[in-house]
Amino acid sequence: MDENIKKFKFLRNVIIGTAIIIIIASIKLQVIEGKKYSRLAEKNRIRQRYITASRGKIFDRNGIEIANTRPGFYVSVIQSMIDNKTLESISKILDIDKKTAQDKFKLEKNPFMPVKIAHDISYRQLSIIEENIDDLKGIEVGVEPLRNYPYGELLCHLLGYVGEITHQEIKRLQGYSINDYIGRMGIEEHNENQLKGNYGIEFVEVDARGREIGKIAEKRTIPAVNGQDFYTTIDVVLTESVAVYLEKYKRAACVCLDPKNGDILVLYSKPGFDPNLFVHGMKKKEWEILNKAPDAPMYNRALMSCYPGGSTFKPFVALAALDANMITPEKTFKTCTGKYRLGRRTFKCWKKHGKLQLSGAIIHSCDIYFYQLGAFIGIDTIVSRISALGFGKLTGIDLPGEKKGLLPDRAFLEKKYGKNWTEGHIFNLSIGQGDLLTTPLQMACAYTAFANDGEIVVPHVTKTDDYAYHTADISPASIEIIKEMLAGVVASGTGGLARLDDYVVCGKTGTVQNPHGDDHALFIGYAPGDAPDILVCLVMENAGHGGSVAAPAVGKIIRTFLNNTRVTQYAKED
Amino acid sequence: MQKKTNFGIIVAVTVLSLIGLLMVFSTADLYTLIKQTVWLVIAMITAIVLSRIPPRFWSNIAPALYIGAIILLLILLLTQSSYPKRWFKIGTVAIQPSEFTKFATVVFLASYLAARKKMKRFSDLLVPLVIIAMPAILIFLEPDLGSAQIFFPILLLMLYWAGMPATKIFIFFSPLVSAAASFIIYVWVAYFIGLTVFLYFHKQLNDFIYGTVSNFLAGLVMPLVWNLLKPYQQERIITFFSPWVDPRGMAWQTIQSKIAIGSGGIIGKGFLSGTQKKLEFLPLRHTDFVFSCLGEEFGLIGIILTTLVFAYLFYELLLLTRTTKNRFSSIIVAGVLAWLGYQTFVNMGMTLGLLPVTGVPLPFISYGGSSLLACYMAIGVCLAVSRSKFKY
Repeated sequence: MDENIKKFKFLRNVIIGTAIIIIIASIKLQVIEGKKYSRLAEKNRIRQRYITASRGKIFDRNGIEIANTRPGFYVSVIQSMIDNKTLESISKILDIDKKTAQDKFKLEKNPFMPVKIAHDISYRQLSIIEENIDDLKGIEVGVEPLRNYPYGELLCHLLGYVGEITHQEIKRLQGYSINDYIGRMGIEEHNENQLKGNYGIEFVEVDARGREIGKIAEKRTIPAVNGQDFYTTIDVVLTESVAVYLEKYKRAACVCLDPKNGDILVLYSKPGFDPNLFVHGMKKKEWEILNKAPDAPMYNRALMSCYPGGSTFKPFVALAALDANMITPEKTFKTCTGKYRLGRRTFKCWKKHGKLQLSGAIIHSCDIYFYQLGAFIGIDTIVSRISALGFGKLTGIDLPGEKKGLLPDRAFLEKKYGKNWTEGHIFNLSIGQGDLLTTPLQMACAYTAFANDGEIVVPHVTKTDDYAYHTADISPASIEIIKEMLAGVVASGTGGLARLDDYVVCGKTGTVQNPHGDDHALFIGYAPGDAPDILVCLVMENAGHGGSVAAPAVGKIIRTFLNNTRVTQYAKED
Repeated sequence: MQKKTNFGIIVAVTVLSLIGLLMVFSTADLYTLIKQTVWLVIAMITAIVLSRIPPRFWSNIAPALYIGAIILLLILLLTQSSYPKRWFKIGTVAIQPSEFTKFATVVFLASYLAARKKMKRFSDLLVPLVIIAMPAILIFLEPDLGSAQIFFPILLLMLYWAGMPATKIFIFFSPLVSAAASFIIYVWVAYFIGLTVFLYFHKQLNDFIYGTVSNFLAGLVMPLVWNLLKPYQQERIITFFSPWVDPRGMAWQTIQSKIAIGSGGIIGKGFLSGTQKKLEFLPLRHTDFVFSCLGEEFGLIGIILTTLVFAYLFYELLLLTRTTKNRFSSIIVAGVLAWLGYQTFVNMGMTLGLLPVTGVPLPFISYGGSSLLACYMAIGVCLAVSRSKFKY
């Protein structure tokens, strides 16, 4: 019983103590600070505000900023204070749709929270608003960090852009305020969590006109956490050179990577768009024009466009044949006369090549040799030997939106054409036409099998030391043979215009027929031949012959890179 | 034997309920007031009925009551599709099972503890912990952190009252402190040294071994596990466990609540004339934040009076626990005291800005039928105890 009395006394004191704490806290609020709170209550002078976090910067491989932030002026609205007239006049000043602004701030549950309705307003707009701020009840103007892309269009597909968060996203995602931007496309989308940071909240006291008098010393202020910086493998100087070399052409895609480790040096697609435009908040019409433009500027051709590989695919057919031990390099087929008849159809070659061995057929890109080679080894051999090189699969690059392409196999052809698909389909596949679809990135990765002795890199734009490879189960001897032939293509064959004085360049040309116009010009090449530092895959849409248009451009890109690799600042060369 | 109903408890509860009706009328509309009045009548009748049932009855049906409550929570979690899964909606009436689970759990835990006379070893703690954890976790999953947290103080006080030494209880739960302290290494080292010294003078080898090892492991494992998580996972956990970090309205509510109470001054702005609540600055003003409106309209005087009535009620309950000879009855009243007392403190502390915002209603005053009914059921049982306290 003694113990019970002890416990009773203890708990009695807890009750008394707690009551005293509550009463003291009330006295503090109501008596000591009573005046302050009465003043605040008088006209609810406390305002809460989101603090925008600064988005992390993005750097190229040499430490050059390729995405950063700059200050900009915003306009925000406090729902509970704004009236219809003010909303109308502010919409007029900002040249925005009244309804859009309304939809935006209606999403914020707290009617006293300022919601941004316009970003990056001009000095002119700012001065008009400031002049009339007394009449614009419920309108606030302030400075915020905005995304800035110093290279504009050059890196648009790679970096992506940031846009205002949508209604759906704010409901679906955690950790965003209605005032936030969200990354779309490219690195901005893929690394959103790292780059975005976290918004904060502050409490300020305002005067009767709604102007800030000062911050409230309230422990509950939550500071914004800025986003983390992001380091890429991109070489922005090289990308600039690529853009210069492709200046005359309308639509093109270029992938440069380090075949040793998969570092993407250049990921360039043309035409592009200016990602800085999205920071303002794009109008629906502007967006539609951009999104529906016939040249599809929003589309990252380097990893989304699927092209038939054309003749750049031939080395893989040859590799399959050698690896399966079905031919030797000395193998010959029927003489190339420029035409080959299969049943009632005639398959053509671009030139009369005469009698060729395998090396000649690759170096001079003879279609008729490859029709016969393909038919000789059969579709199953081709597919089974080379699918490990990544055809019809994602490369696994750390960017969103990559397309898979298609390597047609027997099952696919049977499904598409029925039981009676013909040898003609194998003919088409053998020269990289027909149903074959590859992305420039996929092709570049597949060629690292030659540059890297059978190891195919997993491409990446994130700077890392942790490289990944797929190993293709292909005999080194076969790869060695094809490598020599690829050197031959540049030294004495169709790729002659990619030749450099100081370095051995290996590569393959491709000219892809397409129903929509002129041929696409392709060239994939790497250098120096024995220990390559760079591999370039270039696709120029409707530009003509791979050998005459793409090969010289790739030669220039490789030269620029190899000659300037130790110089950070590089001057534009013709 | 004499039968004596405890009038102190009845008066206190009636006064609080009337204050509740006044505040519901002040903060909400007539319809809400009528609903609350109907609930109050039902609750009072229930309490009167329960006060006639001898406590032994509860001891007999405790397991069934408890299992029924758990099943109800499971059904709620599995069948309700709207989120959060806190209510069964029957027409316009929403029933909140978590409130009744508190009652069932207190009764069941009391019956378990009453059957065990010696409460000296750690193993005696494990079963009570499981009894409490099951409903707490289910409610936590709804998710309703506010209601789930109530179970922990209930466990502590009932164990304490059942005879478990406070030092034992502390040592048993000390790894939780260690895990929390481990985020700041200096705090943890200081805590651990302090704990070791305490355990050394405590002079019990088993306690010493358990205390040091478990605290050391908790302090070691917690940061490791934490660092394994991805940053966004950490962020989510922080937001989940500390709603006051979530900026969407929480900090806003606290500030508005403080403004409401502070601007009330000593005598208040008068009934029905609170400006903060009228302008709808205060969210949830008839449920979780009803105390802020009370402070605004009736000032310091209103707050002190309400606090004193609550303190008196809890003192009466405490007195009842002590004077009751029957072990089961005594422990059950202790459980009710922990439940209502802790809930009152957390709610008031939240509105005064002393504690984080967690959705906990103020017993007898906040609008909400389930809460009111559950509280009155508990009071009914306490009254039954008081009537029969000289019987045994």
